[in-house]
Amino acid sequence: MNFMTIARWEFKNTIKSRKFLVIFFLQIAALFLFVMVFNSLAENLESNEALSITPSLSGFANVDVDDQGGLFTRHLNSEVLTLKNSSYQQARNRLERGLTVGYYTVPPESVTLIQDGDQVETILYLDYRDPKRSVVREEVNSTTKTLSTALTTSYLESYRPRNITKQPGVTETTSGESVPLQLIRKVMLSVLLFLPLFLFGNLIIDSVVGEKERKTVEMLRALPLTSADIIIGKSLAVVMVMALQVAMWMIIILGAGFQLKNALMVYVIVFLTTIPLVGLTTIIATYSKNYKEAGIGLTFAYIFISGLLILPLLGYIINQSTLANLSPMTMVMRLSSGETIVMGEILLSLTFIVIISLISYGTSITLFQRDKVIFGPRPSIIRLTMELMGLNKDKKTRSHKRRIRN
Amino acid sequence: MKQELDVNKVTSSQIMISMDSLSKSFGNIKALDNLNLDVKKGELLGVIGPNGAGKTTAIRITCCIMKPDQGDVLVDGYSIHKDPLKIKSLIGYLPEEPNLYERFKARDLLKYFSELYGVPGADINQRVEELLELVGMTHRAEDRINTFSKGLRQRISIARALVHDPEIIIFDEPTMGLDPATSQTIRHFINQLKGDKTIILCTHYMDEADQLCDRVALLDQGRIRDMGTPQDLKSKIHGDLILLVRVTNPLESDQEVISGFRSVENLETEDEQYIISLNSREEISQILNVLGSRALAVNTKEPTLEDVFISTLENRRI
Repeated sequence: MNFMTIARWEFKNTIKSRKFLVIFFLQIAALFLFVMVFNSLAENLESNEALSITPSLSGFANVDVDDQGGLFTRHLNSEVLTLKNSSYQQARNRLERGLTVGYYTVPPESVTLIQDGDQVETILYLDYRDPKRSVVREEVNSTTKTLSTALTTSYLESYRPRNITKQPGVTETTSGESVPLQLIRKVMLSVLLFLPLFLFGNLIIDSVVGEKERKTVEMLRALPLTSADIIIGKSLAVVMVMALQVAMWMIIILGAGFQLKNALMVYVIVFLTTIPLVGLTTIIATYSKNYKEAGIGLTFAYIFISGLLILPLLGYIINQSTLANLSPMTMVMRLSSGETIVMGEILLSLTFIVIISLISYGTSITLFQRDKVIFGPRPSIIRLTMELMGLNKDKKTRSHKRRIRN
Repeated sequence: MKQELDVNKVTSSQIMISMDSLSKSFGNIKALDNLNLDVKKGELLGVIGPNGAGKTTAIRITCCIMKPDQGDVLVDGYSIHKDPLKIKSLIGYLPEEPNLYERFKARDLLKYFSELYGVPGADINQRVEELLELVGMTHRAEDRINTFSKGLRQRISIARALVHDPEIIIFDEPTMGLDPATSQTIRHFINQLKGDKTIILCTHYMDEADQLCDRVALLDQGRIRDMGTPQDLKSKIHGDLILLVRVTNPLESDQEVISGFRSVENLETEDEQYIISLNSREEISQILNVLGSRALAVNTKEPTLEDVFISTLENRRI
C-alpha cells in the first residue's frame, strides 16, 4: 500500500498549494461563465426569437422599411435597428444622403401570400459605403429565417388532427428534436461535464515531469518502492483532485438550472473516465524530458482524446449506433437526458474504460522502469514502441537476461 | 533470499557490498567497464576519480536506481537483480545534487520519507526530531525547503538519507559547492557515522578522502585503477616523505651520491630543485651535507592523495 502514502501526500500538498488553489478557482469561474453563455444560448433558441449576433447597442443602425402588413417589421430587432416607414423614393433620397443604411421592402400582400402557401419575396437595399451594412444584413436574414421557421411550424400545426381519442395499445412517439436544441441540451451538457477533466493535465505533468526537471527522480527511485507504487500513487492523487473538481462542477451546473437526470450515475461515469485519462497523460509525462515537451504532447493527446469521446456521441445522435456507447460521453449524455440504459451498454462503456486504464498505466509503469527513459539517452517513440511490443529487443538486454537466468 | 556470488567473498562475513563485473554504457560511452569492488562491513570507503570516471553510475547501480548492462552487485548478500526493494531499504543515499521537494516543510519532508521507507508510524515523530537535532535544523523545521541555502538543503538531505536508520550510507559528492565551514560540518556528520555504518563516499576532494576514509578506491574510465588505505596509496607514489632542496647549479655527481642513500626511493630534478622521495627521515642531514653550502632552501612535504590521483592518471595516459 505504498502508493497510498504517495497519493495521500501528493493530494495534501496539491490542495495546500496556493498556486493550485488560484488555478482551481479560476477554472471554476471560467467554467461558470461557460454555463452562463450556454444557458443564454439555449434560452434564446428555445424562445424562437431572433438570435442576435450583434452587440446590444440600441439604435446601432437606421433602416427604412416598407412593410404594410407589418409582419416582418414586428420581428426585426428594434434594439439594434431604428426603423422608419418610407416609400421607395424617400428611402432612396435618405440612402443617398447617408441618413439610412438600408431599405427593406416587403410586398403589401405578404400575409395573404403566406396564408395561400405562396412564396414571399422581400428585398433589402444596402448602402455599400456604410460598414454597418453587414449588421443590418445579418439582422434581416436572421428575422426572415426565424419567421419562416415559426410560420412552417404554425402551418403544420394547423393540419395536425386534434381531439383524437387515444386508442388502447397505440402510443404516439416522437423522435428527433431540432438539431440546435439537441446540441444545447445534450451534447453541450455532456461536453461541459467532461470539460474539467481536460484542465488538470498540468497536475500529473508537474508530478511526474517535475521529478525529472527538479532532478528528484533519482531520490524517488532510490526508495524501496516499485515503479507501480510511484506511478499509481501519483496518478491517484490527481484522480482525487479531479473527483473533487467534477463534484463542484456538477453542483454549479445544477445550480445554473441545467436539467441533469441520474446525477449520481453521471458523476460516477465522469469520475471513472478520469482514471484512463490520467493514465494516458501519465504516459506522456513519463516519456517527456521536460515541461515544454510534455505540454506539446498533452495538446495533441487531448485533441485525440476529445475526438474519441465526442465523435461516438455525435454518431449516436445521428444513427443511435450501439458501438457509440463505448464513449463515456455518450453514456453521460443519455443518462443526463433521462434515457433508459440497459446493463450491457453500461458494461460496454466500463470495459472500454478498464481496457484503456490497464494499457495506459501498464505502459507508464514500464516506461518508468526504463533507465534510458528516465536518465537518457532516450530512445525514439518508434523504437520504444517496438521494444515494448517485443519487436526490437536489443541483444545486450537479451544476453543479460539469459545470464541472470543461468 | 540471500544469493551466493562467489565462495571466497561470501565466506568472508566482512563483505557488505560486492560489485562483480559491472558494465554499463550510455550510447557509445562506456561508463563502467567490468568493475569489481568490495566494501567491508563498517568501513568508510572513499571513491575518487576524474569527472566521468563512472562513480555516480556505480553508485546508482548499487542503490538499484539503474540497472547494469552486465554484472551484479550483492548488498548484504542480496542481489540487485532479485531483491532490489530489500537492498533499497538497507541503503541511505545522498545524491550529488541536494534536490528536494521545494514545497515541503523540512519536518514534513522527513516524515514523508520516513513513511515511504516504512518506519513504524509510532516511531516517526521521535526519529524525525532526533535527525533534525543531529543536523542542527530543529529551529528551521517548519520552514519550507525553498527558503534554504545549499548548505541547509544538504543537511536536510543527510537527515533524509538517515530516516530509516540504514546499515549502508552512500554519499555522492556531499560537500560539492559548499563553503569551507559547511563542508567541515558535513564531514563532521560523516565522521560521527563512521564505524556504526558501512559508508561509501564519492568525492573530488582528496583531503576529504584522506581525512575520512579507511580505504580509497581510485576509479577511472569505469575501472578501479588502485585501491588501499590512504597511507598505502601515498607510499606507493613517493614514499613517506618528499624532500625539496633548491640549489645553485645542480650537478650530476650530487645526484649519483644522493641516489646511493638507502632511504632515497626516487630523485628528480626540476629547474634548480631536487625532488627526493624518502621512505624515512633518518638520512636527511647526511643528504644535506652532500650539498653543503649550495643548498639554498630546504623543504619537506608529505605526499597527498592528490599526488596519487595525478600520478595514477598520468601513468594511465603513458
